[in-house]
Amino acid sequence: MTIYRSAAAVAVLSFVASFALTYAGAAAAYHTRFVADNCNYASPTPTTFITRDGSATVALRARHEGYQWAGGCWNDNDKDDSPNDPTTNAGTGGEGGDCSGFTFKVWREALDTSNAGFHQWGMLRNVHGPYTAAAFKAGAGAPNITASKSGLIKMDALASDGHIGLIYAVNPDGTDQIIEAKGEAYGTSIWTRTYRGSSSYSGVRRVGWSS
Amino acid sequence: MRWLPTIHRVWALAAVGVAAGVAAGLAISLATNALAQGASGSGAVFDVTHVPPLLTVPDASGELVYDVHCSAAGVDDPEANCSVSGTVFARRVGVGSFREIPLERRDPVTRQLAATVPDELLDSDAFEYFAVFESAEAEARLTVPPGAQSAPSVSRRLRNATPVLLGRHSFGEARRSGQRLVFARWGDGPDAAGLEEGRNLEPVGASAFDVDASGAIVVLDHANRRLLRWTKGTRAPVHVPVSINGTIADLASGGDGSFYVMETTARNGKAPLIRRFDDHGRELEAVEAAEQGTAQIRIGPDGPVVLQRPSHQWMPAAVAGVPASQAAQLQRGRMGRLLRSGGEVVVLSRTNELRVAVVAGGRSTRSWRITSETPLGEVQLAEPVGRRFVVVVRLYDGRSDEFAVLLLDRRGLVSRTTVDAADWAEAAPLGRFRLVGRDLYRLGSTPAGVFVDRFDLEVR
Repeated sequence: MTIYRSAAAVAVLSFVASFALTYAGAAAAYHTRFVADNCNYASPTPTTFITRDGSATVALRARHEGYQWAGGCWNDNDKDDSPNDPTTNAGTGGEGGDCSGFTFKVWREALDTSNAGFHQWGMLRNVHGPYTAAAFKAGAGAPNITASKSGLIKMDALASDGHIGLIYAVNPDGTDQIIEAKGEAYGTSIWTRTYRGSSSYSGVRRVGWSS
Repeated sequence: MRWLPTIHRVWALAAVGVAAGVAAGLAISLATNALAQGASGSGAVFDVTHVPPLLTVPDASGELVYDVHCSAAGVDDPEANCSVSGTVFARRVGVGSFREIPLERRDPVTRQLAATVPDELLDSDAFEYFAVFESAEAEARLTVPPGAQSAPSVSRRLRNATPVLLGRHSFGEARRSGQRLVFARWGDGPDAAGLEEGRNLEPVGASAFDVDASGAIVVLDHANRRLLRWTKGTRAPVHVPVSINGTIADLASGGDGSFYVMETTARNGKAPLIRRFDDHGRELEAVEAAEQGTAQIRIGPDGPVVLQRPSHQWMPAAVAGVPASQAAQLQRGRMGRLLRSGGEVVVLSRTNELRVAVVAGGRSTRSWRITSETPLGEVQLAEPVGRRFVVVVRLYDGRSDEFAVLLLDRRGLVSRTTVDAADWAEAAPLGRFRLVGRDLYRLGSTPAGVFVDRFDLEVR
């Protein structure tokens, strides 16, 4: 009987240990699963009637979602589904865009930098686009131009060498409400910022809006 | 030899246990992931922004303009805006009942709704208003500001504002150097302040500061989740660990040894917290802001007040010493900041004009219209100093930026100096300056570290 009791104990211990290890391993690997489990690589839909308000809607759907360096795929559940990803690893497959990937999708641009047309990307289309924040700052690509900061309006951008954010609204105290994918600890949301006045930032505008 | 079959059975049972454990672990993990990632369709979007005409001049238009963003759940086309109706409720401040003014779409393409304020309200000393928006498609209703008639927006007429002409600014000239009071290099050592880590992130660190009642300088080293406190005459800071998010936040000394930290981030759609700590870093209380955006915290005559978005209202974080609920915050929102010295300061900044008014007893007692050929950025500080008034506003062009420190009196500009921006690291948006007594303190940073300087305003 002792040997059977021992055998049962070994079986139970094996179950508990392997369950714990497997669950912990899968949970730890969770950050690599958002893109794999949710995102797609569908072609964008070319569109001709594009408004700044429509782009604001694209941006608002990303609000409260996550941030992923070099990423560009998010859902719309107002929750960061892969919080606390390592901040310097582009391969963690977490939810969200980074600042330039977010801007690319909100401005509905094409992967071909010589194409200034509008392309509607789905939220769950995993795409970052060809531009870094510094490239946007320089007005790189056919859809993008540099613009005077004092004349920027809704859905124009303020870009530095390392970051870009979109103007959502202006505030009475001279600050702006910026909608941006700020960083892993921040996610994507709207914050009061002073980018407009800072010499680190330049004005950038997407061209071709219907209104 | 009789034992062999039994030993095989033990191994077999162990293998079954391992297999079952792996299967169960994977199943539960995948189920958890699926639950966590749940909704993937488009949810409803319903959001309204509005810049209130806080201070108007006689030639002002009476239009109240609202940007409305509405998209019904399940509609993927972002250009498919849902229909929204809205009404403004307005009256002279405290006089009669609110009258209804319908909001109309003035442009068939944009999503703006606008209402025209009747002349008798516009020409009064001040009118108050709020707006209600409804969308059946989005199944949503919004009130702006959310405090409605309890805490409406207020627009005041400036009749005798003192003009101040700044002309065109020459960057790099006539800068003033302050007295360097404290410095901490970047890092996580005992005398250092931290920078946030991350790719695609400009330098962010030491996001706020204040000067407490004893004259000690306190810097919020948010990346290291601590306060650095320099008592008068000491060179090395004392560390006070605080339990905070570790993202950009603002700081205010409570005057009783406690500190308020206003977070700007929160998870999962919640509003940021305003936390109070004692001088040992023990959390005394925490309240959730009423709105999702928090921009600035200061101490008013009745305790801490927080500038919130999208209402642009100052709301109390505590009422009579008790942490304020979200409803209590919303009901007490004000368009101006109450001063400990009495009265309320209202600011309205546009690209080339800044209007500032001190309001007391419901009337504007002092006001200025500051015009500048060089674009004006954010107003960092607007407070009385003795019988005068100091304004710190950023000036910028395509390549440069500096802070103008303007000392004003009833006749106009008393003095004007310039302070370099010194904002290498990003900090709380409106946390760079403090006025203590008749001295101006500034939080600055360079690639080497963070510092606090003091400037004598030379107010007699």
